[in-house]
Amino acid sequence: MTTTDIHALVGAYALDAVDDLERAAFDRHVRECESCRTELDELRETAGRLADSTWSVPPPRLRSAVLGAIAQTRQVAPVSPAPMRSAQPAPRRWLVAAAAAVVLAGGASTAVYQVQEQRVGDSIATAARASAQTERTRDILAAPDLVVRTAPVTGGGKVTVAQSPSKDAGVILLGASAPPADGKVFQLWTIRGTTPTSAGVLPAGEASAVQIVNGLPGADMVGVTVEPAGGSATPTMPLVSQLPLV
Amino acid sequence: MTERARDHLSAVPGPPPTDPAQLLREVAQGDEQAFGRLYDLVAPRVYGLIRRVLRDPAQTEEVTQEVLVEVWRNAARFDGARGSATSWIFTIAHRRAVDRVRSEQSAADRVMKVGVAQVEIPHDEVVDEVTGRLERQQVRRCLDDLTDLQRQAVTLAYYQGHSYREVAELLSTSLPTVKTRMRDGLIRLRDCLGVEVTA
Repeated sequence: MTTTDIHALVGAYALDAVDDLERAAFDRHVRECESCRTELDELRETAGRLADSTWSVPPPRLRSAVLGAIAQTRQVAPVSPAPMRSAQPAPRRWLVAAAAAVVLAGGASTAVYQVQEQRVGDSIATAARASAQTERTRDILAAPDLVVRTAPVTGGGKVTVAQSPSKDAGVILLGASAPPADGKVFQLWTIRGTTPTSAGVLPAGEASAVQIVNGLPGADMVGVTVEPAGGSATPTMPLVSQLPLV
Repeated sequence: MTERARDHLSAVPGPPPTDPAQLLREVAQGDEQAFGRLYDLVAPRVYGLIRRVLRDPAQTEEVTQEVLVEVWRNAARFDGARGSATSWIFTIAHRRAVDRVRSEQSAADRVMKVGVAQVEIPHDEVVDEVTGRLERQQVRRCLDDLTDLQRQAVTLAYYQGHSYREVAELLSTSLPTVKTRMRDGLIRLRDCLGVEVTA
Protein backbone atom coordinates (compact mmCIF):
# COMPACT_ATOMS: atom_id res chain seq x y z
CA MET A 1 0.00 0.00 0.00
CA THR A 2 1.43 3.41 -0.92
CA THR A 3 1.37 6.41 1.39
CA THR A 4 -1.45 7.99 -0.61
CA ASP A 5 -3.51 4.83 -0.34
CA ILE A 6 -3.01 4.49 3.36
CA HIS A 7 -3.87 8.12 4.07
CA ALA A 8 -7.21 7.68 2.31
CA LEU A 9 -8.12 5.60 5.38
CA VAL A 10 -7.99 8.61 7.72
CA GLY A 11 -11.78 8.90 7.95
CA ALA A 12 -12.34 5.19 8.40
CA TYR A 13 -9.56 5.10 10.99
CA ALA A 14 -11.09 7.97 12.97
CA LEU A 15 -14.38 6.05 12.99
CA ASP A 16 -12.69 2.80 14.12
CA ALA A 17 -13.88 1.23 10.87
CA VAL A 18 -10.54 -0.35 9.90
CA ASP A 19 -9.24 -3.82 10.74
CA ASP A 20 -6.27 -4.49 13.00
CA LEU A 21 -3.72 -4.66 10.18
CA GLU A 22 -4.90 -1.40 8.67
CA ARG A 23 -4.93 0.19 12.09
CA ALA A 24 -1.28 -0.77 12.64
CA ALA A 25 -0.30 0.45 9.17
CA PHE A 26 -2.07 3.74 9.74
CA ASP A 27 -0.46 4.21 13.16
CA ARG A 28 2.91 3.81 11.45
CA HIS A 29 1.87 6.25 8.74
CA VAL A 30 0.93 9.09 11.11
CA ARG A 31 4.11 8.66 13.12
CA GLU A 32 5.99 9.72 9.99
CA CYS A 33 3.64 12.47 8.83
CA GLU A 34 2.88 15.40 11.13
CA SER A 35 0.24 16.99 8.89
CA CYS A 36 -1.52 13.62 8.57
CA ARG A 37 -1.49 13.39 12.35
CA THR A 38 -3.10 16.79 12.61
CA GLU A 39 -5.86 15.80 10.21
CA LEU A 40 -6.42 12.62 12.20
CA ASP A 41 -6.60 14.54 15.49
CA GLU A 42 -9.25 16.82 14.05
CA LEU A 43 -11.32 14.05 12.52
CA ARG A 44 -11.11 12.02 15.72
CA GLU A 45 -12.20 15.05 17.70
CA THR A 46 -15.10 15.39 15.28
CA ALA A 47 -16.03 11.72 15.63
CA GLY A 48 -16.00 12.21 19.41
CA ARG A 49 -18.69 14.86 19.04
CA LEU A 50 -20.98 12.21 17.57
CA ALA A 51 -21.09 10.80 21.10
CA ASP A 52 -22.88 14.01 22.13
CA SER A 53 -26.11 12.59 20.74
CA THR A 54 -25.94 9.37 22.72
CA TRP A 55 -26.74 10.42 26.30
CA SER A 56 -28.24 7.68 28.37
CA VAL A 57 -28.44 7.26 32.12
CA PRO A 58 -26.13 4.53 33.40
CA PRO A 59 -27.52 2.44 36.26
CA PRO A 60 -26.56 4.04 39.62
CA ARG A 61 -24.73 0.86 40.71
CA LEU A 62 -22.22 1.44 37.90
CA ARG A 63 -20.87 4.52 39.66
CA SER A 64 -20.03 2.68 42.86
CA ALA A 65 -18.65 -0.27 40.88
CA VAL A 66 -16.31 2.01 38.90
CA LEU A 67 -15.22 4.04 41.92
CA GLY A 68 -14.59 0.79 43.79
CA ALA A 69 -12.52 -0.56 40.90
CA ILE A 70 -10.33 2.52 40.48
CA ALA A 71 -9.52 2.53 44.20
CA GLN A 72 -7.73 -0.77 43.52
CA THR A 73 -6.19 0.14 40.16
CA ARG A 74 -2.65 1.39 39.83
CA GLN A 75 -2.19 4.33 37.45
CA VAL A 76 0.43 4.48 34.71
CA ALA A 77 3.14 7.12 34.67
CA PRO A 78 3.14 9.75 31.93
CA VAL A 79 4.94 8.73 28.71
CA SER A 80 6.76 12.01 28.36
CA PRO A 81 6.53 15.38 30.06
CA ALA A 82 4.52 16.76 27.14
CA PRO A 83 2.83 20.03 28.06
CA MET A 84 -0.88 19.59 28.57
CA ARG A 85 -3.18 22.27 27.39
CA SER A 86 -6.86 22.57 27.83
CA ALA A 87 -8.59 22.02 24.52
CA GLN A 88 -12.06 22.22 26.00
CA PRO A 89 -13.82 25.25 24.57
CA ALA A 90 -14.68 27.72 27.31
CA PRO A 91 -18.20 28.65 26.15
CA ARG A 92 -19.63 25.39 27.42
CA ARG A 93 -18.90 26.27 31.01
CA TRP A 94 -21.74 28.65 31.45
CA LEU A 95 -24.03 26.07 29.97
CA VAL A 96 -23.18 23.52 32.61
CA ALA A 97 -23.65 26.19 35.24
CA ALA A 98 -27.00 27.25 33.82
CA ALA A 99 -28.16 23.69 33.53
CA ALA A 100 -27.09 22.83 37.04
CA ALA A 101 -29.07 25.84 38.13
CA VAL A 102 -32.23 23.99 37.15
CA VAL A 103 -31.48 21.27 39.63
CA LEU A 104 -30.54 23.73 42.33
CA ALA A 105 -33.73 25.66 41.68
CA GLY A 106 -35.69 22.68 42.92
CA GLY A 107 -34.05 23.00 46.32
CA ALA A 108 -34.21 26.77 46.43
CA SER A 109 -37.90 26.93 45.63
CA THR A 110 -38.61 24.37 48.33
CA ALA A 111 -37.06 26.70 50.87
CA VAL A 112 -39.02 29.69 49.64
CA TYR A 113 -42.30 27.84 49.74
CA GLN A 114 -41.65 26.48 53.20
CA VAL A 115 -41.31 29.96 54.63
CA GLN A 116 -44.65 30.96 53.14
CA GLU A 117 -46.42 27.85 54.23
CA GLN A 118 -45.34 28.05 57.84
CA ARG A 119 -47.69 30.99 58.00
CA VAL A 120 -50.64 28.88 56.94
CA GLY A 121 -49.38 25.69 58.51
CA ASP A 122 -49.71 23.48 55.49
CA SER A 123 -46.29 22.15 54.69
CA ILE A 124 -47.52 19.08 52.84
CA ALA A 125 -49.16 21.04 50.06
CA THR A 126 -45.99 23.12 49.83
CA ALA A 127 -43.67 20.24 49.26
CA ALA A 128 -46.05 18.86 46.68
CA ARG A 129 -46.09 22.16 44.85
CA ALA A 130 -42.30 22.48 44.83
CA SER A 131 -41.90 18.97 43.59
CA ALA A 132 -44.63 19.52 41.00
CA GLN A 133 -42.63 22.45 39.68
CA THR A 134 -39.49 20.34 39.41
CA GLU A 135 -41.53 17.62 37.73
CA ARG A 136 -42.99 20.13 35.32
CA THR A 137 -39.51 21.42 34.42
CA ARG A 138 -38.36 17.89 33.75
CA ASP A 139 -41.45 17.11 31.77
CA ILE A 140 -40.91 20.13 29.51
CA LEU A 141 -37.21 19.45 29.05
CA ALA A 142 -37.90 15.84 28.13
CA ALA A 143 -40.30 16.80 25.31
CA PRO A 144 -39.27 15.32 21.97
CA ASP A 145 -39.90 18.60 20.17
CA LEU A 146 -37.90 20.75 22.60
CA VAL A 147 -36.04 23.61 20.97
CA VAL A 148 -33.23 25.32 22.87
CA ARG A 149 -32.03 28.84 22.10
CA THR A 150 -29.50 31.09 23.79
CA ALA A 151 -28.65 34.78 23.72
CA PRO A 152 -26.01 36.86 25.51
CA VAL A 153 -26.84 39.25 28.33
CA THR A 154 -25.36 42.76 28.19
CA GLY A 155 -22.64 42.86 30.84
CA GLY A 156 -21.95 39.13 30.66
CA GLY A 157 -23.77 35.83 30.95
CA LYS A 158 -26.51 34.24 28.91
CA VAL A 159 -30.17 33.55 28.80
CA THR A 160 -31.34 30.14 27.62
CA VAL A 161 -34.87 29.36 26.54
CA ALA A 162 -36.04 25.78 26.10
CA GLN A 163 -39.55 25.46 24.73
CA SER A 164 -41.81 22.69 23.58
CA PRO A 165 -44.82 23.31 21.30
CA SER A 166 -46.35 19.96 22.28
CA LYS A 167 -46.23 20.90 25.99
CA ASP A 168 -47.22 24.47 25.15
CA ALA A 169 -44.64 25.61 27.67
CA GLY A 170 -41.04 26.63 28.04
CA VAL A 171 -38.33 27.19 30.61
CA ILE A 172 -36.29 30.39 30.81
CA LEU A 173 -32.88 30.04 32.43
CA LEU A 174 -31.15 33.30 33.24
CA GLY A 175 -27.47 33.14 34.04
CA ALA A 176 -26.08 36.68 34.16
CA SER A 177 -22.51 37.28 35.32
CA ALA A 178 -23.58 39.74 37.99
CA PRO A 179 -26.79 41.20 39.44
CA PRO A 180 -27.74 44.76 38.42
CA ALA A 181 -26.15 47.56 40.45
CA ASP A 182 -27.87 50.10 42.74
CA GLY A 183 -30.49 47.70 44.14
CA LYS A 184 -32.06 47.19 40.73
CA VAL A 185 -33.31 43.78 39.63
CA PHE A 186 -33.64 41.63 36.52
CA GLN A 187 -37.10 41.10 35.09
CA LEU A 188 -38.06 38.51 32.48
CA TRP A 189 -40.57 39.24 29.72
CA THR A 190 -42.35 37.38 27.00
CA ILE A 191 -43.22 39.54 24.03
CA ARG A 192 -46.07 38.77 21.67
CA GLY A 193 -46.21 41.11 18.71
CA THR A 194 -45.53 44.40 20.50
CA THR A 195 -47.14 43.41 23.81
CA PRO A 196 -44.76 42.54 26.66
CA THR A 197 -45.92 40.35 29.57
CA SER A 198 -43.90 39.93 32.75
CA ALA A 199 -42.58 36.41 33.18
CA GLY A 200 -41.09 37.07 36.61
CA VAL A 201 -38.94 39.42 38.69
CA LEU A 202 -35.72 38.40 40.39
CA PRO A 203 -35.01 39.47 43.96
CA ALA A 204 -32.35 42.20 44.36
CA GLY A 205 -28.81 40.87 44.25
CA GLU A 206 -29.70 37.83 42.18
CA ALA A 207 -28.21 37.09 38.76
CA SER A 208 -29.67 33.68 37.94
CA ALA A 209 -33.09 32.09 37.86
CA VAL A 210 -35.18 29.36 36.31
CA GLN A 211 -38.75 30.08 35.30
CA ILE A 212 -41.44 27.92 33.74
CA VAL A 213 -43.66 29.84 31.32
CA ASN A 214 -46.88 28.24 30.16
CA GLY A 215 -47.91 29.15 26.62
CA LEU A 216 -44.38 30.29 25.79
CA PRO A 217 -44.34 28.78 22.27
CA GLY A 218 -46.95 31.38 21.19
CA ALA A 219 -44.61 34.26 22.07
CA ASP A 220 -42.34 35.99 19.57
CA MET A 221 -39.52 36.90 21.89
CA VAL A 222 -38.12 36.57 25.40
CA GLY A 223 -36.52 39.70 26.82
CA VAL A 224 -34.65 40.64 29.98
CA THR A 225 -34.61 44.14 31.47
CA VAL A 226 -33.16 45.89 34.49
CA GLU A 227 -35.93 47.35 36.66
CA PRO A 228 -36.39 48.99 40.09
CA ALA A 229 -36.77 46.46 42.94
CA GLY A 230 -40.09 44.63 42.69
CA GLY A 231 -40.25 44.98 38.92
CA SER A 232 -42.22 47.21 36.55
CA ALA A 233 -45.53 46.95 34.73
CA THR A 234 -43.84 47.59 31.37
CA PRO A 235 -40.23 46.94 30.41
CA THR A 236 -37.68 49.72 30.86
CA MET A 237 -35.58 49.99 27.71
CA PRO A 238 -33.07 48.94 26.60
CA LEU A 239 -33.43 45.18 26.88
CA VAL A 240 -30.24 43.68 28.33
CA SER A 241 -31.00 40.49 26.45
CA GLN A 242 -33.41 39.58 23.69
CA LEU A 243 -34.04 36.16 22.27
CA PRO A 244 -36.30 35.83 19.23
CA LEU A 245 -38.38 32.63 19.39
CA VAL A 246 -39.49 32.57 15.77
CA MET B 1 -49.81 31.39 46.71
CA THR B 2 -50.31 35.11 46.12
CA GLU B 3 -50.01 36.71 42.72
CA ARG B 4 -46.93 38.54 43.89
CA ALA B 5 -45.21 35.46 45.23
CA ARG B 6 -45.73 33.66 41.96
CA ASP B 7 -44.20 36.55 40.12
CA HIS B 8 -40.96 36.27 42.05
CA LEU B 9 -38.30 33.82 41.12
CA SER B 10 -36.15 31.66 43.29
CA ALA B 11 -32.49 32.56 43.21
CA VAL B 12 -29.82 30.03 42.51
CA PRO B 13 -26.07 30.15 43.16
CA GLY B 14 -23.77 29.24 40.27
CA PRO B 15 -21.83 25.99 40.75
CA PRO B 16 -18.06 25.88 40.16
CA PRO B 17 -17.05 25.37 36.52
CA THR B 18 -16.28 21.82 35.50
CA ASP B 19 -13.63 21.38 32.85
CA PRO B 20 -12.97 17.76 31.85
CA ALA B 21 -9.34 18.49 30.89
CA GLN B 22 -8.63 20.03 34.30
CA LEU B 23 -10.37 17.13 36.05
CA LEU B 24 -8.36 14.65 34.00
CA ARG B 25 -5.12 16.33 35.09
CA GLU B 26 -6.22 16.00 38.72
CA VAL B 27 -7.18 12.37 38.09
CA ALA B 28 -3.68 11.76 36.67
CA GLN B 29 -2.36 12.73 40.10
CA GLY B 30 -4.48 10.09 41.77
CA ASP B 31 -7.33 12.35 42.85
CA GLU B 32 -10.31 10.01 43.33
CA GLN B 33 -12.72 12.85 44.07
CA ALA B 34 -11.85 14.50 40.77
CA PHE B 35 -12.50 11.16 39.12
CA GLY B 36 -15.95 11.09 40.72
CA ARG B 37 -16.72 14.50 39.22
CA LEU B 38 -15.34 13.43 35.85
CA TYR B 39 -17.51 10.31 36.05
CA ASP B 40 -20.63 12.41 36.58
CA LEU B 41 -19.68 14.59 33.64
CA VAL B 42 -18.91 11.94 31.03
CA ALA B 43 -20.48 8.65 32.18
CA PRO B 44 -23.89 9.26 30.53
CA ARG B 45 -22.24 9.83 27.16
CA VAL B 46 -19.78 6.98 27.54
CA TYR B 47 -22.58 4.64 28.60
CA GLY B 48 -24.92 5.96 25.91
CA LEU B 49 -22.32 5.61 23.17
CA ILE B 50 -21.37 2.07 24.14
CA ARG B 51 -25.01 1.10 24.47
CA ARG B 52 -25.76 2.52 21.05
CA VAL B 53 -23.04 0.35 19.52
CA LEU B 54 -23.54 -2.81 21.60
CA ARG B 55 -27.27 -2.57 22.41
CA ASP B 56 -27.04 -5.21 25.09
CA PRO B 57 -27.44 -3.52 28.52
CA ALA B 58 -25.37 -6.07 30.48
CA GLN B 59 -22.44 -5.90 28.06
CA THR B 60 -22.78 -2.12 27.93
CA GLU B 61 -22.36 -1.90 31.68
CA GLU B 62 -19.34 -4.18 31.62
CA VAL B 63 -17.57 -2.33 28.81
CA THR B 64 -18.42 1.08 30.31
CA GLN B 65 -16.73 0.02 33.53
CA GLU B 66 -13.66 -1.22 31.63
CA VAL B 67 -13.44 2.07 29.73
CA LEU B 68 -13.75 4.26 32.80
CA VAL B 69 -11.17 2.25 34.71
CA GLU B 70 -8.88 2.62 31.69
CA VAL B 71 -9.43 6.38 31.82
CA TRP B 72 -8.32 6.33 35.46
CA ARG B 73 -5.34 4.12 34.73
CA ASN B 74 -4.11 6.06 31.68
CA ALA B 75 -5.10 9.59 32.68
CA ALA B 76 -1.42 10.67 32.61
CA ARG B 77 -1.26 9.69 28.93
CA PHE B 78 -3.85 12.27 27.93
CA ASP B 79 -2.23 14.94 25.77
CA GLY B 80 -4.30 18.11 25.61
CA ALA B 81 -2.37 19.29 22.56
CA ARG B 82 -3.88 16.46 20.52
CA GLY B 83 -7.52 17.02 21.36
CA SER B 84 -10.09 17.54 24.09
CA ALA B 85 -10.38 15.39 27.19
CA THR B 86 -13.89 14.28 26.28
CA SER B 87 -12.84 13.24 22.80
CA TRP B 88 -9.93 11.28 24.30
CA ILE B 89 -12.36 9.45 26.55
CA PHE B 90 -14.89 8.80 23.77
CA THR B 91 -12.13 7.47 21.52
CA ILE B 92 -11.27 4.87 24.16
CA ALA B 93 -14.97 4.08 24.66
CA HIS B 94 -15.71 3.73 20.96
CA ARG B 95 -12.67 1.58 20.28
CA ARG B 96 -13.57 -0.77 23.13
CA ALA B 97 -17.19 -1.01 22.04
CA VAL B 98 -16.20 -1.79 18.46
CA ASP B 99 -13.63 -4.37 19.58
CA ARG B 100 -16.34 -6.06 21.64
CA VAL B 101 -18.82 -6.04 18.80
CA ARG B 102 -16.32 -7.56 16.40
CA SER B 103 -15.16 -10.23 18.78
CA GLU B 104 -18.65 -11.32 19.74
CA GLN B 105 -20.75 -11.14 16.63
CA SER B 106 -20.20 -12.36 13.14
CA ALA B 107 -20.36 -9.76 10.42
CA ALA B 108 -23.49 -11.38 9.01
CA ASP B 109 -25.25 -11.00 12.34
CA ARG B 110 -24.59 -7.35 12.46
CA VAL B 111 -25.58 -6.72 8.88
CA MET B 112 -28.97 -8.24 9.65
CA LYS B 113 -29.47 -5.93 12.60
CA VAL B 114 -29.07 -2.80 10.50
CA GLY B 115 -32.33 -1.01 10.14
CA VAL B 116 -33.53 -1.79 13.65
CA ALA B 117 -34.84 1.48 14.97
CA GLN B 118 -32.65 3.25 17.48
CA VAL B 119 -34.43 3.89 20.73
CA GLU B 120 -33.18 6.75 22.74
CA ILE B 121 -33.51 6.29 26.44
CA PRO B 122 -34.98 9.30 28.15
CA HIS B 123 -32.68 10.93 30.59
CA ASP B 124 -34.03 11.69 34.03
CA GLU B 125 -31.46 14.28 35.01
CA VAL B 126 -32.45 17.81 34.13
CA VAL B 127 -28.88 19.03 34.10
CA ASP B 128 -27.89 16.50 31.51
CA GLU B 129 -31.04 17.09 29.57
CA VAL B 130 -30.38 20.77 28.97
CA THR B 131 -26.69 20.38 28.27
CA GLY B 132 -27.25 17.37 26.08
CA ARG B 133 -30.06 18.95 24.12
CA LEU B 134 -27.99 21.76 22.74
CA GLU B 135 -25.23 19.39 21.74
CA ARG B 136 -27.59 16.84 20.25
CA GLN B 137 -29.30 19.52 18.23
CA GLN B 138 -26.02 20.73 16.84
CA VAL B 139 -24.76 17.27 15.97
CA ARG B 140 -28.04 16.38 14.30
CA ARG B 141 -28.18 19.59 12.36
CA CYS B 142 -24.67 19.04 11.12
CA LEU B 143 -25.38 15.41 10.21
CA ASP B 144 -28.33 16.66 8.17
CA ASP B 145 -25.95 18.83 6.19
CA LEU B 146 -24.06 15.81 4.85
CA THR B 147 -24.95 14.05 1.64
CA ASP B 148 -26.93 10.84 2.19
CA LEU B 149 -23.93 8.70 1.39
CA GLN B 150 -21.63 10.65 3.68
CA ARG B 151 -24.11 10.49 6.54
CA GLN B 152 -24.77 6.79 6.13
CA ALA B 153 -21.09 5.96 5.87
CA VAL B 154 -20.26 7.92 9.02
CA THR B 155 -23.20 6.77 11.15
CA LEU B 156 -23.05 3.10 10.12
CA ALA B 157 -19.42 3.05 11.21
CA TYR B 158 -19.70 5.15 14.32
CA TYR B 159 -23.05 4.23 15.81
CA GLN B 160 -23.28 0.64 14.58
CA GLY B 161 -19.60 -0.29 14.76
CA HIS B 162 -19.31 -1.47 11.15
CA SER B 163 -15.98 -1.64 9.34
CA TYR B 164 -15.70 0.31 6.10
CA ARG B 165 -15.82 -2.98 4.20
CA GLU B 166 -19.16 -3.84 5.78
CA VAL B 167 -20.40 -0.33 5.11
CA ALA B 168 -19.43 -0.67 1.43
CA GLU B 169 -21.38 -3.92 1.27
CA LEU B 170 -24.41 -2.45 3.04
CA LEU B 171 -24.50 0.57 0.78
CA SER B 172 -23.55 -1.37 -2.37
CA THR B 173 -20.69 1.02 -2.94
CA SER B 174 -17.03 0.54 -3.82
CA LEU B 175 -14.39 0.51 -1.11
CA PRO B 176 -12.60 3.66 -2.35
CA THR B 177 -15.91 5.53 -2.41
CA VAL B 178 -16.75 4.57 1.16
CA LYS B 179 -13.29 5.57 2.38
CA THR B 180 -13.65 8.91 0.64
CA ARG B 181 -17.16 9.53 1.96
CA MET B 182 -16.05 8.77 5.53
CA ARG B 183 -13.21 11.22 5.18
CA ASP B 184 -15.03 14.07 3.46
CA GLY B 185 -18.12 13.45 5.62
CA LEU B 186 -16.04 13.93 8.77
CA ILE B 187 -14.34 16.98 7.28
CA ARG B 188 -17.72 18.55 6.60
CA LEU B 189 -18.88 17.70 10.11
CA ARG B 190 -15.68 19.16 11.51
CA ASP B 191 -16.31 22.45 9.73
CA CYS B 192 -19.99 22.50 10.70
CA LEU B 193 -19.29 21.79 14.38
CA GLY B 194 -16.35 24.19 14.42
CA VAL B 195 -13.99 21.52 15.78
CA GLU B 196 -10.46 22.75 16.28
CA VAL B 197 -7.39 21.08 17.64
CA THR B 198 -4.68 23.48 18.66
CA ALA B 199 -1.57 21.42 18.31
